[in-house]
Amino acid sequence: MTPTTVSRADLAPQLKALIERGGRLALLTAADDGQSRLALAALVLSPDGQAAGQLRPALWRTPLDDDTLPPLTRLVPQAHWAKRALYDFFGLRPADQARPNPLLLHEAWPAHLHPLRPTPCDGAAETGEATRYRFLEVGGEGVYEIPVGPIHAGIIEPGHFRFSCHGEVIQHLEIRLGYQHRGLEEQLARTPWRQAHHVVSTISSDTAAGNALAHALAVESLLDIEPPPAAVALRAALLECERVACHLGDLIGYCADTGFAAGATAFSLLRPRAQILSEWLCGSRYQAHAIVPGGLARPLPGDQREGAEHCVTQLIDGFERAEPLLLDNSGALERMAGTGVVPRPIADEIGLVGPAGRAAGLDYDVRSALSQPPYADLGWQPARGGDGDVLARCTVRCAEIRASLTLLRRLLAQHNPDAPTRVDLPDRLPADRWACGLVEAWRGELVHLVLTGDQGQILRYAVKDPSFNNWTGLAVAARGEVVSDFPLCNKSFGLSYSGNDL
Amino acid sequence: MINTLLGLLHTKRHTTSDMLPDLADHALTLATVSDQPCAAADGCRACLDACPTSAVTVLPEANSDPTVTVDRGRCLACRACTDGCPTSTLVADRNTRVAVRTRAELLHSNRPLDRPTPAAPRRRPFARSLHIREVSTGDNAADMEIQAACNPIYDCFRFGLHFVASPRHADALLVTGPVGRAMAEPLRRCHAAMAEPRLVIALGCAAISGGIHAGGYAEANGVDAVLPVDVYVPGGPPHPWMILHGLFLAMGHPLGDDRSDPQITQITQMS
Ligand code: SF4
Ligand code: SF4
Repeated sequence: MTPTTVSRADLAPQLKALIERGGRLALLTAADDGQSRLALAALVLSPDGQAAGQLRPALWRTPLDDDTLPPLTRLVPQAHWAKRALYDFFGLRPADQARPNPLLLHEAWPAHLHPLRPTPCDGAAETGEATRYRFLEVGGEGVYEIPVGPIHAGIIEPGHFRFSCHGEVIQHLEIRLGYQHRGLEEQLARTPWRQAHHVVSTISSDTAAGNALAHALAVESLLDIEPPPAAVALRAALLECERVACHLGDLIGYCADTGFAAGATAFSLLRPRAQILSEWLCGSRYQAHAIVPGGLARPLPGDQREGAEHCVTQLIDGFERAEPLLLDNSGALERMAGTGVVPRPIADEIGLVGPAGRAAGLDYDVRSALSQPPYADLGWQPARGGDGDVLARCTVRCAEIRASLTLLRRLLAQHNPDAPTRVDLPDRLPADRWACGLVEAWRGELVHLVLTGDQGQILRYAVKDPSFNNWTGLAVAARGEVVSDFPLCNKSFGLSYSGNDL
Repeated sequence: MINTLLGLLHTKRHTTSDMLPDLADHALTLATVSDQPCAAADGCRACLDACPTSAVTVLPEANSDPTVTVDRGRCLACRACTDGCPTSTLVADRNTRVAVRTRAELLHSNRPLDRPTPAAPRRRPFARSLHIREVSTGDNAADMEIQAACNPIYDCFRFGLHFVASPRHADALLVTGPVGRAMAEPLRRCHAAMAEPRLVIALGCAAISGGIHAGGYAEANGVDAVLPVDVYVPGGPPHPWMILHGLFLAMGHPLGDDRSDPQITQITQMS
């Protein structure tokens, strides 16, 4: 990808115009590309010159002369978390804001640490202030706060939720994450690129296939190579298997959080099947160590394919029986319908992705919008439609499980165990190039962006988990709900804390 | 309603009675070392190049074949070394009885290792039940495997294993993920809130050693760096049976007996 230079003043208006034309801001970050101090890099998906519903990735580069960011969020509200992360990682501060509010690196971190910055910050800008996080305070008589986390009561990842409530009703929810920050982007820029596929599968280890595929697509695009068709098909099978397994896992949660134990049992007997399917497909119960740049780590022998096909049949039959338990149960429906609504205009404004976006009526699905192989040849349509509530997210996910199982059946039926599944890679990456990998992971649009340096070394590796868009959606959905419905709202989004924290 | 009842009627018993079976042949497993001589003297270094976490070490010996050691506390179970080893010195270990009490026991080698054999604890206060507080710090697949250990197939509850919502109610702290800088203090506080006697269990490669994250600016180097660990459950992530083995070991339950692990038996006899 060759970057187009967009001036500092034009960035926000152009992004706004692009989004209004049906385009997307996929990732906004910064990099030291050797040509200026730091440059903002916006990976956008543009509809210009494409067929209806189709998008094409492009990179916009905005050189910066100092450590201030151009105004962004007034015109492009969905960039608000990216803007705060730019302060955490690069020390770039909004021009129109006296004190930046960190997003991920708060109290536990030294105030002046900006780990992805090549040179220290301008001294004047960094005097003495501590990186103290400021929660929004809701005023008014009888308003009280409920702080929850970072450690939660269940078997779940850490994060802090600050509810401001009036009576039982949530007036405002602020989500503070970052507790699991492991320095992954910095690590990916110093890991030898041949080993990097092991690192990306830990970004959010429940999305190992999605991250490994985004990484493989980015590296293959840098190298200008295509994996063999059999590998493309099996990589899609792994991605769909991950989708089925994770959606089934969250359906257990929908049942448990509506107090419907029989449904929870039914789905918790199905989910292990999907993990056994994954084990047949690649040896790992989490689709890890399977997808690599150039194809697959190991081929799929005929006997393993048979095991996998048998699992898919069992899953199709089992899901047919289990789905109506939840979707015909009036008690569960009553809890889900009308709860945790994200209205369509807000979904557009905050750039909601994945099943949550489609449940709010958005059309965007990376698999179809970028006409990715092998989906185009499989006569497949993304599931969509709904009122943006918990029920809509549930039905979209159920429809995705069915669609993915059908895809898996077709992909496995086509599989020829003797076809090659890997191409050889050259020893080094091309110098001074940008490339991206986009994947519709089970939570939605997952983006990897790579920049190489003059020796072909990786200079910058940026990752955007779909959760980075969607946490704001959860905060919107929780507003006006009673506190006791929050777990159900949370589960209906099923977001990744670690993918967001990196 | 009728459908729910019919569904329940059709649900058969799914809980397994076959305890801690080996993993499937095609599964990705932890690596271990066999007694086949290593070919490093002939220039092989396939495992050293392949391992993403430098878990394997190969030391040349003057009068015999090289000493090969794998640190299972750093093994992601990726099979890169075992698939690529021409001499089958490094082999896949399908055993699910992999939990141990000391970090040193996670080293598997083709030579006797100089390490003390851990004494079995004198008291077993949790022999009949263990209440567990799980804290995740960056490995959500491991969390999902813990949830799987609670499903009707593995059904950990039948052994007196329970997951509780507060550290005040817990006997054991079960930690997943590499404990980066921002989770160290919450984890310490959670541990401090637990009544004694209490145990700490590190679950999965990241929790044991930081795994692939070790050594970075985020200081994500595993639980050991923050709290004393009583039981280690290796794996990337550990299979529900491995998790149950670790919890049995923490309880002092007979099924947690690590002497049933052939590799450990062999090493103990040699030393
Ligand atoms: S299986 Fe374990 S020891 Fe072998 S290469 Fe993978 S991580 Fe390293
Ligand atoms: S791959 Fe096998 S033979 Fe080669 S150095 Fe490693 S242990 Fe020795």
